[in-house]
Amino acid sequence: MHSIYARINGLTALLSTCVMVLLGTIALSSLIYTADPKGELSINSIRVHPGKERRYPRRTREFAFVNFNVTADLTPLFNWNTKQLFLYLEAEYENVKGVKNDVVIWDRIVRRKEDAVINVQGKNKYKFKDLAKSFKDVPPAHYSLKYNVMPYVGVLTYGEAARTTEAIEFPEAQDTM
Amino acid sequence: MSGMQDLLEGRIDFHGQKTADDAVRWALLGSTALSFVLGFAMQSLKVTFGTLGLAVVGLCLVVLPPWPMFNQHPVQWAPTQEDKKTQ
Repeated sequence: MHSIYARINGLTALLSTCVMVLLGTIALSSLIYTADPKGELSINSIRVHPGKERRYPRRTREFAFVNFNVTADLTPLFNWNTKQLFLYLEAEYENVKGVKNDVVIWDRIVRRKEDAVINVQGKNKYKFKDLAKSFKDVPPAHYSLKYNVMPYVGVLTYGEAARTTEAIEFPEAQDTM
Repeated sequence: MSGMQDLLEGRIDFHGQKTADDAVRWALLGSTALSFVLGFAMQSLKVTFGTLGLAVVGLCLVVLPPWPMFNQHPVQWAPTQEDKKTQ
């Protein structure tokens, strides 16, 4: 500590250790928050239409269009270490070959506690299509609202806020909208 | 020229160095704990890093410049001895 440079060196050395310990304790503090909020999810209507993809104009495949209604109060998930929530609506079903499919059809990023009260009547944001090009003979699907809590410091945590009570069938493909 | 060098070096005596070292240790460890407790109580990371930042700035102002209080115990050098001419 004999010169200014030596004092700067010692100060910053202890400071960097203190900051790392502080960040570690902030990350650990997230463990005491065990909120598990639940909401409601219902599917208003679902339609299946054949269509073409822009990339492969000669290929027709079936697209599903889902109208849903989701309400949830996710404010308990916001604590001092929550940066944002990533919400996503998933369609879970087994395809004709018996393989489990999870398709994200809608998502939202929630950055503030005030925006964490979800009341959405919407439709799927992303194309809902099956690998087999058709939804014929596909077993009914369950839809769920899942969330991902993204902290400022720490591990990502996941949870499920809402789920459809019964599985929803995929209707027959209709040619006209 | 040596005045500029002294200014940039900021030399302090040994008692001052001990005081500075103790001040840095206590201030940083204490302000880290305090900033965690305050931020956790007010549920705000801004409060945590705000108090830590203020504490560090205050500590730098106290410890980095060679204040006179760090030079209260200068080293007592022994008197110079005359060269003895050998026969």
